[in-house]
Amino acid sequence: MNPCGVITGFFLLNPCGRPSVTACARCGRALCQHHADASGLCPECAAPADPYDSGWASGYRRTYYSDSSTTYNDPNWYSTFDSYDRGAFDQGGDWASGGGDFDGDDFGDSGFVDS
Amino acid sequence: MIRGVFYRKQRAALNGFHPVHRTLVEERATAVTLRPADTDGLIRSFAAHAAAIRRRRWRLPERVPGVLVPLMRVLAADMRADAPLGVAVDFRGPKAPGKEGPAIALPVRLPYLSVRQWFAFDPWLRMRAELRDGGALELAVVDRVRFRRIKKNSSRGKIKIKTKSKTVRLVTVSRRLPKGAVLTRPATPPPGWIAVRVKEGSRPVVRVRARLPESVEGPELVRRTLLMTTETFRWTAPQPRRSR
Repeated sequence: MNPCGVITGFFLLNPCGRPSVTACARCGRALCQHHADASGLCPECAAPADPYDSGWASGYRRTYYSDSSTTYNDPNWYSTFDSYDRGAFDQGGDWASGGGDFDGDDFGDSGFVDS
Repeated sequence: MIRGVFYRKQRAALNGFHPVHRTLVEERATAVTLRPADTDGLIRSFAAHAAAIRRRRWRLPERVPGVLVPLMRVLAADMRADAPLGVAVDFRGPKAPGKEGPAIALPVRLPYLSVRQWFAFDPWLRMRAELRDGGALELAVVDRVRFRRIKKNSSRGKIKIKTKSKTVRLVTVSRRLPKGAVLTRPATPPPGWIAVRVKEGSRPVVRVRARLPESVEGPELVRRTLLMTTETFRWTAPQPRRSR
């Protein structure tokens, strides 16, 4: 059985794991019946740009991951992601999302306060 | 003047919106607890606002689509279906009754005649989500506004009065971990604009604070808030992933 490759959640990531019935027409991930939309795309490939739409958080998560990667540079944090998620940090890789999300950190890293 | 003649269609549309949406438009403030599934109905109601309502007085505050809706979407993604999401918003502004503190007179010299200063605390967003892992996440955005009313003599001998204000936006994100959770110091420090406090115990708490300028609004405020939320999640060891 090939399980569904969709990751649910935003900070608390969990693989769906249901049996897959098809694959995403764009990224090729295995999809279960619950996560395949009418056009055959996975929730992240089909995510709308408008927060009013219910699937927005799935698409925004990738933008957020690449943003947090430049801000934190924490390898343990990235180990919670799978290869698809980590693709957001891999500029020019097969999974790379759009360009322009890999700018440097503007805020400095002067260290902890009160921790 | 005959009441009820104007804006009848828009009033009817407003009455058809989600009750929380209607309260927010009419009173500019509301507090509600919803299940994640119920947030969809409220957000759909917000989405229909611009097409139905044109009256300026009933406009939807810009912070609803810019800040509230994205944060509701993100928090709902990490919640169980039956867990409550608490939202309290107050878009009445820092001059609303009860938000302004007492004024004090500052020492002055000519050409200034008097300077009175007071502060207002405007907690315009509070959210609380019970997460899927058994923990809870709280976030709050408070504007602290300093007002100064300055009375001075102009060079032509007129008395001029002006009021200046300066806003600092205080954002706090707290994550109360589930019982027995173990805190691990992250490998790398957070950015300098984020301050972290950790409280150990049977239910550890990671609290993150930041002072942001007034100009940080809309998508940038969402981005900064989520980056702060990230810090609270970095203190728990990564969960092993199931092989797929």
